[in-house]
Amino acid sequence: MSITAEQAMEMKSELAVVCCRIEEGVVIEAEHLEDPSIFPDLVDSGLLDIPADCLKIGEVIGAKMTKTVDSLTPLTLDIVEGTIKLEEDEHVELEDEDEKAVLKFNKGEGEIIAIEDLENPMHFDKLTDSLLIDLNDKVLSRKEAVGKKLTRDVEALTPITPDMLEGYEAIVEETDKVYQRAANDGILRIKIDEGKGIDIEVPLGMGGTPVAREVPFKAKEKEAVVEEKEEEKVVRKLTRKHFQIDQVKLGTETLIDGTTLYIREDACKDAIETEKLVTDMKIDIITPDKYDEYSNTIMDVQPIATKEEGQLGEGITRVIDGVVVLVTGTDENGVQIGEFGSSEGRLERNIMWGRPGSPDKGEIFIKTDVTIKEGTGMERPGPMAVHKATDMVVQEIREALKEADEDLIVNTDELVQKRRPGKKKVVIIKEIMGQGAMHDNYLLPVEPVGTLGAKANVDLGNVPIMVSPLQVLDGCVHALTCIGPASKETSRHYWREPLVLEAMNDEEIDLAGVIFVGSPQINSEKYYVSELLGMIVESMDVDGAIITTEGFGNNHVDFASHIEQVGKRDVPVVGVTYAAVQGQLVVGNEYMDAMIDLNKSRQGIENEILGNNCLAYEDAIRILYMLKAKMAGEEIVAPERSWKPEVKSNNIDLIEKATGKEIEIAPNETSLKMSKKRREIYEKDEIEEN
Amino acid sequence: MDISILLRQHVGGPCKPIVSEGEEVKRGQLIAVPEGLGANIHSSVSGKVKKIVEDRILIQPDGEQSPDYIKIDEHDNLLESIKAAGITGAGGAGFPTHIKLDADLKDGCVIANCVECETALHHNIRLLEEDPQLVIKGIQYAMEVTKAPRAYIAIKEKNTQAIDALEKHLLDNIGIKKLKDIYPMGEERAIIHAIFDQWLEPTQLPLEADCVVLNTETLANITMAIEDRKPVIDKDITIIGQLNGGKEPHILFQVPIGTPIKELIERCGGIHGEYGEIIIGGPYTGKAEDLDTAVVTKMSGGAIVTIPFPKYEGPVGLLACACAADEARLRDVAGKMGAQVTGVVECKNIVDVRGAKKCKTPGDCPGQAEKVIELKRSGAERIIISNCSDCSNTVMCCAPKMGIPVYHHTDHVFRTLDYTLTRRLPMD
Repeated sequence: MSITAEQAMEMKSELAVVCCRIEEGVVIEAEHLEDPSIFPDLVDSGLLDIPADCLKIGEVIGAKMTKTVDSLTPLTLDIVEGTIKLEEDEHVELEDEDEKAVLKFNKGEGEIIAIEDLENPMHFDKLTDSLLIDLNDKVLSRKEAVGKKLTRDVEALTPITPDMLEGYEAIVEETDKVYQRAANDGILRIKIDEGKGIDIEVPLGMGGTPVAREVPFKAKEKEAVVEEKEEEKVVRKLTRKHFQIDQVKLGTETLIDGTTLYIREDACKDAIETEKLVTDMKIDIITPDKYDEYSNTIMDVQPIATKEEGQLGEGITRVIDGVVVLVTGTDENGVQIGEFGSSEGRLERNIMWGRPGSPDKGEIFIKTDVTIKEGTGMERPGPMAVHKATDMVVQEIREALKEADEDLIVNTDELVQKRRPGKKKVVIIKEIMGQGAMHDNYLLPVEPVGTLGAKANVDLGNVPIMVSPLQVLDGCVHALTCIGPASKETSRHYWREPLVLEAMNDEEIDLAGVIFVGSPQINSEKYYVSELLGMIVESMDVDGAIITTEGFGNNHVDFASHIEQVGKRDVPVVGVTYAAVQGQLVVGNEYMDAMIDLNKSRQGIENEILGNNCLAYEDAIRILYMLKAKMAGEEIVAPERSWKPEVKSNNIDLIEKATGKEIEIAPNETSLKMSKKRREIYEKDEIEEN
Repeated sequence: MDISILLRQHVGGPCKPIVSEGEEVKRGQLIAVPEGLGANIHSSVSGKVKKIVEDRILIQPDGEQSPDYIKIDEHDNLLESIKAAGITGAGGAGFPTHIKLDADLKDGCVIANCVECETALHHNIRLLEEDPQLVIKGIQYAMEVTKAPRAYIAIKEKNTQAIDALEKHLLDNIGIKKLKDIYPMGEERAIIHAIFDQWLEPTQLPLEADCVVLNTETLANITMAIEDRKPVIDKDITIIGQLNGGKEPHILFQVPIGTPIKELIERCGGIHGEYGEIIIGGPYTGKAEDLDTAVVTKMSGGAIVTIPFPKYEGPVGLLACACAADEARLRDVAGKMGAQVTGVVECKNIVDVRGAKKCKTPGDCPGQAEKVIELKRSGAERIIISNCSDCSNTVMCCAPKMGIPVYHHTDHVFRTLDYTLTRRLPMD
């Protein structure tokens, strides 16, 4: 596509390639030229091969063609006459802006530091090695130094520190109070009340006066008050009592007898009656020998748990081990209740075992197969009816679990939520589906993963809601899942959410809480909730944020906006989503520079294998290290143009090397027998080749 | 602008002018001849001899200049043509080529020195890339003159494009020797060491190893003298540095000798902002010259416009080396920085050969710690060194440990060009 005259002015040092046929003798104008931003794609697709002597846009505008050429021909001197020579120096852009600033030339007092006054960082190693420069923490970055005025003469090869620049004294005097506290992470933290949002951090033990990292201004040490190191604080605890079940049978009454769970035979019939839209429902007990049976699409995977004591998120929860609930269903015409992906087919070929949100191999499934009125699968009440009917049955089991004998407890574990004052304060923001129909979630039920007492986040307007990490792990989300089973978080996912678990137990950070924010259908609503989220994060004074999303496509619009809202408040933010090949981000902004891709499929696609591309343990580790790196101001390398699985494996290698810990990589769909969809759709070409 | 043709563009005494003031001369006309060691000098332009002074002939060129020239006389003997054309080593030393080639090497070889080891200069490699045959033919003529059965082309392995170009035209009796990219790989004895694994004594000439070493452009000049009967009146040169339009090299082929350097710099965009100095030659061995008086000679390899020197007004020690800057050049650099020289030492590998400083083993360090200690004792708080890659590496292994910061006299050049500074070598 051609460019405008204004664009041509802006892009005068970009390369000139004609966008359409241009005749000999024609004077070249902006409209004849291709937009340089698509060159990489053109080169990738073999449409364009740019020679080394290709002229620049600024050189060819107004010049004349000496030959007729077709579209996508790079302009070179042999086909153009009357080119203009560009003053190359007009267009200097600051590169390596986070590198240290060292003067290249001797400069005098009162002179402003320009980009070209800075030494090329390529020489730093050798100059440091030669003792000619000392790039300590006082030295400002290039971006901090450019444009500042020197308050004294400074020789070439001198690193630039705040004390040579005009302005820093003045700012410090505007501040009323300066606190300084030594925290046990070896960071000297200085908070300036009523300054200008200045947050200054320097590693301790460097000697000398502390100096700003993020703003080129220095605080006066003598005004600082050092506080005592702060201890970590237990906020609340959650005990899980585990009951092992190895047999599930239908019976006259729902009860737990030893390790056998009996489900009342009429439970289904009663459940059907409570839901107007439900026309039929049956329960299948799937034991491991039946894993190869056909199933309708899996709408949710749920743990069976109940409160023994306390509110959801604290106290004691009883949970059944060895059994999970699978919610499945169709409408009366047999249409799967799903959109953009569904996992119907043989169970063992469509479930990625062992993911946080999936069943584990060996578990017994209580699978409800619910039929709803024709055509209601794509409206909110339809899928909701399926879940509520299923939950009627599960609630009976919960009641039985409450009554189960204490002697049957096989294991007890305790989850502890701690705050760690002095550590980097971090918030996890989880974007959840809120477009309606099956893209919804019930929040904060009375029972773990129940429906009673919960409100759908669509009804809540999808606004951000703060919960504790223990509420997440105690089943505060009943997921009305279905966007594409590989990248969708089931109820069980939250129950076992690895990022929340890892972040809560990470002694290097202070996890403040978990915010859920819905992803509305309408774009204007997306920005509405996103702005609310920004305000909450602003008020929290966090040092870092992690934003995850499930699914891909439409929700990436608000996902990107959330990252922007957080990022523009100077909070380092890491974005987490499935992207890879099929889920490529449709939007982006400058704050999306630290992104974690959740893909685990071999081909980088949504292959409709349940849970395959959801956040797993290995991702949680990468996310936390990415955030720590970003909070520490380390450089995050830009991604390559196209998706490469090596990026992830390299990062994992780096983390393993740095920590000495081995990170277990979860297997992907290649460990499964091939599903019908993989065979007939996703991997068809490869199979035919062999 | 007038053309100044220097009377001494070679090893030996100045030539004697054979034209007089006011005389019309033609491009290619012989205007000065050697008295003793030296080489013929021809006018590079057509015009009028404006003035003859002690060291040069000033010629006012005619408005119109033709690339044609007066050809040298035809000779049956190749060596006579080379002598008549006034060919001297174009790599910097300027040894008269007809004297070098007056040798019998029937058991030896001709070595083409295509190692452009001064990293800022690029015209020799460019010539090889664009016209490898011009050089290869020169090698063949040199072999014919000396009866050498074999020849080697010594070139840095990193110059792959030039190597590819050469290989297309190579003959069986000419081999390519690929050398590492360190300074001073292009030094005659270093090349001989790299090819034959044998160090010549600094007093020995390559002839004693049964070989002659000839630079790329010298070989091209031989071909032109023999095939086109062209005298040496033009020079290839690299113009590079702090120029408007960037620091990429400008390679100018066949610039008339005597052309003011200033004019060439203008032609390449002109100096950008403030500059430090103009170096004629390469960063290591070149010397600073005055922008207003510097002119192209048969030996000038390049002109480098550098950024200003960093100011350092403290006491410095100088460590001079035979492979690069001598004491005078180091004092020049120290003075331009504003530093006070407290002591000067020479690398212990330096030997004095008939008034010229030579290194015993160029590119192979003898150890520098005691020299650095000596400089520190003299009161130096920093040192400026002019060592080769290997010796600079040694200095870097001791001076910083003693708390002595180190400058290399090429720093301001490489900082101008964003080339790697000469310091510690990579460990491989």
